[in-house]
Amino acid sequence: MSDKIMPAELRAEEVLRIENLSMHFGGLKAVDQLSFSINEHEIFGLIGPNGAGKTTVFNCITQFYKPSDGSVLFRTKQGPVENLVDQKVHNIIRKGLVRTFQNVELVSELSLIDNVLVGAHIDFKSGGFSQALRLPKARREEKAMREKAERVLDFMGIADLKDALAGGQPYGVRKKVEMARTLMCEPKLIILDEPAAGLNDVETQQLAETIREVREKYNCSILLVEHDMRLVMDICDRVCAISFGKFLACDVPSAIQKNALVQEAYLGEKED
Amino acid sequence: MKEDSIIKRIYKSPYLHFVVFGLVMSLLPALTSGGILKTSWLGIIGGTIIYTIAALGLNLLLGYSGLISLGTAGFMGLGAYISAYATGNLGLPWEIGILAAVVIPVILGILIGLASLRMEGLYLGIVTLCVSEVLRKTFDELEPITGGFSGKSAEYPTLLGMFKLNQSTTFILLCVILVLVMILTYHLANGQMGRALNAMRGSHVAAQAMGVSLLKYRLIAFALATGYASLAGALYAHFIKFVYPSTWNLPLSLVILSIIVIGGLRSIYGTFIGAVIVYALPDLVLKRIPVIGDINGLSYVFSGILIILVVLFYPGGCVTVFYDLKRLLKKLTKRQVKDHV
Amino acid sequence: MGGRALSTFLQLLLRSLETGAIYALATLGIIIVFRTNLVINFAQGVMGMFGAYIVTVIFTKFGIPLLLAILLGIIAAIAIGFVVDFVIIRRTKKVGGSGKEIITLGMMMVFLGIAPMVFGVDPFRLPKIIETGAFTLDAANLSYNSLLNIIVGLALTIGLFLLLQKTKLGLAIRTTASNERTARMLGVPTKKVTLFSWALAMVLGTLAGVLIAPSTSVTVNLMDSVQVNAFIACVLGGFQTFYGPVIGAYIIAIANNLLSYYVSSVWGTQILYLLVIIFIVIKPVGLVGKRVIKKV
Repeated sequence: MSDKIMPAELRAEEVLRIENLSMHFGGLKAVDQLSFSINEHEIFGLIGPNGAGKTTVFNCITQFYKPSDGSVLFRTKQGPVENLVDQKVHNIIRKGLVRTFQNVELVSELSLIDNVLVGAHIDFKSGGFSQALRLPKARREEKAMREKAERVLDFMGIADLKDALAGGQPYGVRKKVEMARTLMCEPKLIILDEPAAGLNDVETQQLAETIREVREKYNCSILLVEHDMRLVMDICDRVCAISFGKFLACDVPSAIQKNALVQEAYLGEKED
Repeated sequence: MKEDSIIKRIYKSPYLHFVVFGLVMSLLPALTSGGILKTSWLGIIGGTIIYTIAALGLNLLLGYSGLISLGTAGFMGLGAYISAYATGNLGLPWEIGILAAVVIPVILGILIGLASLRMEGLYLGIVTLCVSEVLRKTFDELEPITGGFSGKSAEYPTLLGMFKLNQSTTFILLCVILVLVMILTYHLANGQMGRALNAMRGSHVAAQAMGVSLLKYRLIAFALATGYASLAGALYAHFIKFVYPSTWNLPLSLVILSIIVIGGLRSIYGTFIGAVIVYALPDLVLKRIPVIGDINGLSYVFSGILIILVVLFYPGGCVTVFYDLKRLLKKLTKRQVKDHV
Repeated sequence: MGGRALSTFLQLLLRSLETGAIYALATLGIIIVFRTNLVINFAQGVMGMFGAYIVTVIFTKFGIPLLLAILLGIIAAIAIGFVVDFVIIRRTKKVGGSGKEIITLGMMMVFLGIAPMVFGVDPFRLPKIIETGAFTLDAANLSYNSLLNIIVGLALTIGLFLLLQKTKLGLAIRTTASNERTARMLGVPTKKVTLFSWALAMVLGTLAGVLIAPSTSVTVNLMDSVQVNAFIACVLGGFQTFYGPVIGAYIIAIANNLLSYYVSSVWGTQILYLLVIIFIVIKPVGLVGKRVIKKV
């Protein structure tokens, strides 16, 4: 077990640092002593062949799994640096870290705008009592949040669909709603779980554009866990490659592509 | 988009709809005393209102939060007995009786909510059934408080210690309470809380990622469902004026469940429609049908078949029939306009 | 005094074995349907009640000997089980969430409603299979009928386990139970399996009803206590295995009798239910269940 890390152990430019992260399932080491860090305003990629443990890594970051060892230091949006391992999974978003899901987890029976409003859950200050009676404070808050959600949907280009039910929408639209949902809380770090999965070339290009725009507009960092090499190499500032849960390399995309270890890990999986 | 005119906004206001609904319902006593409708209607529609209130609570639990409970009957009974005991034996004012009848079961409901986190959905139904059975047996045994199997009596409410109500005015009180409960449900369901409950049902992981504490909202869901059920039970005690332990059994919990399944999950008016179909219709219509109307059990068969048909073919419940008809009408009228152009 | 205390205990134990055997039958009905259809059949109890009614009517109204009436009842139960699977359950493939359970609740209401319509509201009496005679064991006595019930319960339980473990049909059931889609792709006749499981559930329920009927009267409430206890047995034993709930059934029967006698005759059952709830909160997967880690 690592010693308790003192807070403020992040370099000024870092927003997230994983140190010696390990995750054991029984005897299986899904993640093994992994360390890397992400800088402010950076688009960072996490890649690795199938089964490398990418999903496990970011489940450990977002506390859906409690890591067996290591620490996840994060510069919270309130200011101080905290070890996310000490946090409950539903409190992670309060710190300014938010994620999407590869399986696009929306509530089918809610409208698009209501789904996006779920992302603002933590920002509602009026309590249950106030909401039950629809006191003016609650009413104002709901209105303000709704307008914010509309703006976010507009940014993603789907404002006209705001009242449509999420269940009937095409996959591409639902992915956009998922992304919109993460923007409501003004995050410092957004983790995208295979955002290009199921998208065609044109849509992937749009996605790349959108990710860049999000970084600009929301002043945040983005961690991209992805299979699609073209997207990763295209938009990431730096890339970390892992294999069998272990660190391989962390560098700019062009260097990663030429890295011998990375190529070896991908042997047989290389894309042209 | 053009801003709706003030008149249109009032017309569209859900509050107006609820109030009008309540006013229409309150006309019933006038109709029965005027001889237009049989007096039995008062008891039946009053029962429908009471069942609607309990069902709205279950709707918040099952429809919005996705948690199945077979214990509604037990909590209704608990509310009934507490209110009857508080007003009858302790001589407390009716308002205090209702308050106690809601608050005490809610504490129990919260405990169940805590326990529910540890188990899969399947087990929850059975555990809530267990709790309901424990309550039912307790009602039978605790003779000094509940009067045992010979039952316990209660009186029509006395408001503010001054206004003694009779059956008709108690019925109007039921209508008022129903409208208030519907408005409360409307507020909760369409705001942050409703979205959080929906998220919890739709996807545990997404809910957690968005900051929804599953613990907190499960407790809220159970507290609400229990509160609604025990309120309904307390109103039952003061409207029907007699409480028996055998009433609060599994078939009653099933009736409440069938109300929201048949009427429409996550729909407020749908819940009322469901109560009418499951509770009022059998008494008012089915029993009048010659030959088969007299047979016991017909209402159960009717409701049971409806449940199966609704789940298989019309999962939105009967209320979606209305919405589909509305859309069909819109389509037809639109087509007519197109032809003209 | 020790001798008497021991024989009282023995008496309680024997009676519990009999009740446990009956619970076990109902429990098996629930768990077999659950493992093959992935639905908790809330209608198990009333289906058994309905079957028991059929046996009773055949015996009383047509004067047919008891054992033959039971046999005919079993045949009727198989037919009804087939009908339930064919008409209703087949169509529930696309139903999600708790929809399937809600359908079984609807079925429960249908059976509850049809029973008085077909059989009337007057209670019937169904006699024991062996009317008189008993063993004595140390001042504890066990009637031949109770012994028969115990043996029938055990025999059916063991028979079913043998069927599951040793026969082709049993293999088909276990494969379907572990993963229906894979089983289908492997060529397992899953449709026949579900048909069989529902018929079996109905038969087991009927037998449980027939065995418990002599100690009470045949009404719509016949299986009420058996039903609740059977569900609790499944919760206690865990839904992941076939044998867990059976063990749970016997535990419930024994604990219920012991608590009712030694602690409180009035509150015994309630205490038991509360203990079970507490147990489930502590060990949510039941006695023999295993934790399944969900993939995010």
